[in-house]
Amino acid sequence: MIIAVSGKGGTGKTMVSALLIRAMAEKGKYDILAIDSDPDSNLPDALGVEVEKNIGDIREELLGERDKLPVGTSWQQKLEYEAMRALVETDEFDLLSMGRPEGAGCYCAANNVLREIIDTIAKNYDIVIIDTEAGLEHLSRRTTQNVDIMLIVTDTSKRGVTTAARIKELAGELKIKFSRLNVIINRVTPEIEDKIKNYVNEIGLEVAGIVPEDELIRGFDVEGKPLTELPEESKAYRAIKGIANRLELG
Amino acid sequence: MEDLPVDIGLIYEGERIRKSNMYVDLAGPKSKGAELLIVVPPEEVEDEKIEVIGPDIPDMKEGSKSPFGVFIKVSGETLEEDLEGVFERRIHDFSNYVQGFMHLNSRDIIWCRVSKDGARKGLKLEHIGKALINLYKSEFDVIKKMQITYYTDEKAVDEHIVRARKVYERRDNKAAALRDEDVDVFYGCLLCQSFAPTHVCAITPSRTSGCGAISWFEGRAAAKVDPNGPIFEIPKGEVIDSLKGEFSGINEVVKDKSNGTVDRVYLHSIFDYPHTSCGCFEAIAFYIPEVDGIGIVNRDFHGVTPFGIPFSTMAGQVGGGVQSQGFLGIGIAYLRSTKFLQADGGWERIVWMPSDLRDRVKEVIPIEIYDKIATETDATELEGLQSFLKEKQHPVLERLVEEEEQEEGAEKAEAPVATVPEISMPATAFQGMPVGVPGGGFTIIFKNAKIYAEKIIIKRKEKK
Repeated sequence: MIIAVSGKGGTGKTMVSALLIRAMAEKGKYDILAIDSDPDSNLPDALGVEVEKNIGDIREELLGERDKLPVGTSWQQKLEYEAMRALVETDEFDLLSMGRPEGAGCYCAANNVLREIIDTIAKNYDIVIIDTEAGLEHLSRRTTQNVDIMLIVTDTSKRGVTTAARIKELAGELKIKFSRLNVIINRVTPEIEDKIKNYVNEIGLEVAGIVPEDELIRGFDVEGKPLTELPEESKAYRAIKGIANRLELG
Repeated sequence: MEDLPVDIGLIYEGERIRKSNMYVDLAGPKSKGAELLIVVPPEEVEDEKIEVIGPDIPDMKEGSKSPFGVFIKVSGETLEEDLEGVFERRIHDFSNYVQGFMHLNSRDIIWCRVSKDGARKGLKLEHIGKALINLYKSEFDVIKKMQITYYTDEKAVDEHIVRARKVYERRDNKAAALRDEDVDVFYGCLLCQSFAPTHVCAITPSRTSGCGAISWFEGRAAAKVDPNGPIFEIPKGEVIDSLKGEFSGINEVVKDKSNGTVDRVYLHSIFDYPHTSCGCFEAIAFYIPEVDGIGIVNRDFHGVTPFGIPFSTMAGQVGGGVQSQGFLGIGIAYLRSTKFLQADGGWERIVWMPSDLRDRVKEVIPIEIYDKIATETDATELEGLQSFLKEKQHPVLERLVEEEEQEEGAEKAEAPVATVPEISMPATAFQGMPVGVPGGGFTIIFKNAKIYAEKIIIKRKEKK
């Protein structure tokens, strides 16, 4: 199952990704791969892991040394080796960080090979959760096109919801195939819950779940503590566990 | 292969064993290892013998890591030492067919893992060896005998690594010394035809592809695996001009695959019939008529060339699968070729390069030329370049003098390199059009022409 988590910056997309990974991992029956595909996010921090090297670094290194590699060796195979090395392996999940998008150079050959390598790696997991940018181009360019579930995170602002609607359009235009597209509304306070739910439904988006405003998360953000250490009773975590259960049932 | 405890097949090729499913880690970034395949006389191979020096998988502790070596000896009447590398690279594919076994990369940077599931089923190195021998023999008829030794004992692995590195070095030296004249087969690549429909990349020992990704060795390996794929063999044919690098085999294939648009190609010159340029080349060699020299700019350099334009602008005019007189898209690896633009004078003709690029290939630039090649810190325009070259006494100055003498009618023995004394292209580049080819009597055909000029004055006509 491949789940892509998208949404406007600042809506709590990475928080949702991190807690979803944690909730799925706690079930103890899945091999989980987390892919950090948003250069502006901090999924590794939220998950409390350190990334030594990302895919972008590997690509740049390769392009800098390709002409110096021994002639009898294969740079494609080297790339595969380095990608595996870049995989952060923990007991609960593995994480691959994509890094910055490429610069002005030509990366056609390297990117084609990388996409295959990442697809190959991803096939070895039960669940792949991708924290991706709002603009979905990178998703289609860099990873697999076959996303099963697209989750769009929005806050209660009108702009957040508009972005969610636009992501749905974009996904259609880019022909990213998915069997479900759902919205997660974040930082919801009791007094506006019904109103925002109705609004999202009205513009044709299906709500996967509501994540309440959670003081604990704000505190963790301030201290820079990983969300994987969030106590079980956190309101947001409880909500996301519920979403994870529903996703699991399909 | 029914007596093996696990399945063997292509479907396991993409199996990546993650840490939580891993029984043991072999070689890899946190340990060491190497694999080596050599061709030997038949009497030195004990066919189908598989030996393990050190503990086998069942004797290893779960979750541990171990050094790991693979040593394969093959024989067969028609086997040549030159094929060792091609065969050796298949260790990767074939080992990966084994369920519960992961194999990455090659040579002394391999990384393997055995899954818990595989270990539970009783997988041993001996089994992997059996699978390998079987797969090799069914894929390559020419392999008659094969013997495999696995090493997991640290001392034995160390010794194996030393032995393997000696062989790699010997192979690499031989490969680096390999030139166009040493082989009968070149390779062609059509991967870029999707955006450069008339581009046929000729890949020879002395010319790596423009994108820098496919060397002659890569080409050979790719064509061996999929002979009908986008990378294919080109019989060399007749040597028409060894200095310029013109071969009848390449001309024929290029004519055919470019639908007749291009029918002659010089591999080692940017004049007359230069190689077509794709679009994803790593660098451009460009002729600077004012100094009768050649500049090189690479994709990573974002500043401007002495022409006043950056790489990107130049690339837009050079690429697309056309022959551009005085311009050539190249791979960085081509700068390391012993035949690098040899028809034009090679390094002695190079007058400008971005400093990063000059550094990157420093070891192949003749030491007496290195400092005479201007970089962006020395010159970003023609005037500055001219005075820099004068100050450094760059050898192109002699060429200019020689040409002047020639023009004055002084008889002179033919220079060993092709010269283009009369090109007059003042900061003007034409794409897809031969300009001022010496000797005259040529046809100019503008096909999909793009014209670049340093200055264009457009005046609006008065409305009638």
